[in-house]
Amino acid sequence: MVLEGLGSRISGALRKMTDSTVIDETALKEMLKEINHALLEADVNIKSVVQLRKNVTERVKLEELAAGVNKRKVIQKAVFDELCSMLDPGTAPVTLKRGKPNVVMFVGLQGNGKTTSCVKYAYYHQRKGWKACLVCADTFRAGAFDQLKQNATKAKVPFFGSYTETDPVKIATDGVNRFKNEGYDLIIVDTSGRHKQEEALFAEMEQMAESVNPTDIIFVMDSAIGQAAYDQALAFRAKVKVGSVIITKLDGHAKGGGALSAVSATKSPITFIGTGEHIDEFEPFKTQAFVGRLLGLGDVSGLVNT
Amino acid sequence: VFSYFKALAGMRTLTRSDLEPVMQQFRDFLISKNVAKDIADKLMESVLTSLTGKKMDSLTSLTSTVRRALDEALTRILTARQSTDIVAEISAKRNMKVPYVITYCGVNGVGKSTSLAKTCYYLLNHGFKVMIAACDTFRAGAVEQLRTHVKCLGEGVELFDKGYGKDAAAVAADAIRRAKELQYDVVLVDTAGRMQDNEPLMRALAKLVEVNRPDRLFFVGEALVGNDAVDQLTKFNQALVDHQSGARPQLIDGIVLTKFDTIDDKVGAAVSMVYTTGQPIVFVGVGQTYTDLRKVNTRSLVNALMK
Ligand SMILES: Nc1nc2c(ncn2[C@@H]2O[C@H](COP(=O)(O)OP(=O)(O)OP(=O)(O)O)[C@@H](O)[C@H]2O)c(=O)[nH]1
Ligand SMILES: Nc1nc2c(ncn2[C@@H]2O[C@H](COP(=O)(O)OP(=O)(O)OP(=O)(O)O)[C@@H](O)[C@H]2O)c(=O)[nH]1
Ligand SMILES: [Mg+2]
Ligand SMILES: [Mg+2]
Repeated sequence: MVLEGLGSRISGALRKMTDSTVIDETALKEMLKEINHALLEADVNIKSVVQLRKNVTERVKLEELAAGVNKRKVIQKAVFDELCSMLDPGTAPVTLKRGKPNVVMFVGLQGNGKTTSCVKYAYYHQRKGWKACLVCADTFRAGAFDQLKQNATKAKVPFFGSYTETDPVKIATDGVNRFKNEGYDLIIVDTSGRHKQEEALFAEMEQMAESVNPTDIIFVMDSAIGQAAYDQALAFRAKVKVGSVIITKLDGHAKGGGALSAVSATKSPITFIGTGEHIDEFEPFKTQAFVGRLLGLGDVSGLVNT
Repeated sequence: VFSYFKALAGMRTLTRSDLEPVMQQFRDFLISKNVAKDIADKLMESVLTSLTGKKMDSLTSLTSTVRRALDEALTRILTARQSTDIVAEISAKRNMKVPYVITYCGVNGVGKSTSLAKTCYYLLNHGFKVMIAACDTFRAGAVEQLRTHVKCLGEGVELFDKGYGKDAAAVAADAIRRAKELQYDVVLVDTAGRMQDNEPLMRALAKLVEVNRPDRLFFVGEALVGNDAVDQLTKFNQALVDHQSGARPQLIDGIVLTKFDTIDDKVGAAVSMVYTTGQPIVFVGVGQTYTDLRKVNTRSLVNALMK
């Protein structure tokens, strides 16, 4: 997975510092510079990068560290904490309740992988015994319903949609009601792509959320996104109650740093990642474990409790 | 942003060490505008080199000197050296009674099919007859997406498709042959999105290009993309070199920059893409309807960058 490319750069920088004999101002600066480079190349929001650097420097006032204190450990922990807080929103993912009609709505920018991911999500849960189904509330994009239909058919997941109805809010409401009546416990709503610059599209999303009252709203983001990630994610979060993030296309080369920015903007955890166009190329994501691996530190708990 | 760099009064010749701190600030600024980090580094390095040793008027500040040099460098990079006048090229080819072929390629979901539909609308308005070749035979709904567009676009356009699962290169060849018979002026070839590291898919693209030799091979990239822009373009071109057998492999010769309406003034991807390929931005996508297609305006692009 490519996010790990970022991880190995960062842990490399940390290790290099560990290897150098004296840990002074210069060594610390050098290490932070390297981490900065790695984060910027991975598209992490530049403001977050500047902030991280500042926070670590402030926490690691070398001259104030008493003799005998393990400086390396202090620095490592500072970096670890900062990265954790960037990646870990501190909120638990929304839990779905078995036997209840959970409604999960997918939102995000154009072409970021909502339709694909929503079918993957349905398929994943269906295999775990959920009674999953899909509602296509994208009436805008050409061929949107056909796309969902063909994918859902392949996944053997029931679906609802319309070729003639033009109001996505109506389709979403009708579809959700129908599947609720039929006893489905995971009703997934696919929506059109949208962006913050177009108010009407955001208003439509708000209306839809109001109408179907989702258990969770999943923000889908492409791992290749650059510096626009934070602002867009923030804008989605400001309009609807985003509860989880899915990062897609991690089978590509992008290091996915824009995604970290999305997490800090939506204050919601990454719950799944997409790693290909096929229906089973989809993995659950655990933030804590990831940060641990990211830094190549093995036993993370030791650090967390110092 | 840069106001805290005061004028260095009395300074005569610029040295690297005068310039470096300012360079750092500008580099970060470019990154904040979504220029890929590598490109921002290279750009600032070239500005640094061009200014080192220069005499500076002691009344102008260091910042504005650097700013002017950067503005010039960006303008130079973004000014197209090759023609971007597709309409003229199509008109010229019309007399030869063979259709002008444009192929669209790029990674997944960037807006290839939509840009193709917008271009079609633009060409129909110029009185051309257009055939659309549905050569994304993989992604669910890809063919229906184009069929819907053809229906909306009305007179003068036709869809050529062979459904799903077929060899894209062969479908394109059939479409071009058919378009020639029916005397269409243009064939627009849609292809499936593919990740630049996916070798089998990159091979298939190279084959499509080699077999059909389109007049234009457009790379579609979204303005939202970050550092990956450089990697995408480098690897698409490299794959086209590696997997075409002839001595003169056809490479990307134009860029379509999409989703320009979603990035405010973070327009740096344009710089990353043009810098990486040396190819011009032929069209810019600024929305989701047929009329949302523009020619690039270098001055306003540079202004947005420097703002
Ligand atoms: N390689 C790869 N491609 C993906 C992944 N997820 C989605 N895609 C592809 O990305 C493209 C866009 O995906 P869609 O699911 O149509 O995106 P969307 O967000 O629904 O798009 P709109 O509805 O137009 O906003 C398609 O070609 C998908 O096959 C992934 O994890 N890896
Ligand atoms: N806002 C905005 N959206 C765009 C623009 N161009 C394309 N889109 C949207 O991006 C999404 C994906 O567009 P497609 O044309 O299907 O992309 P593609 O590259 O053909 O996708 P695949 O074939 O799946 O790889 C759709 O929702 C389009 O409406 C643009 O210039 N601005
Ligand atoms: Mg969709
Ligand atoms: Mg397409």
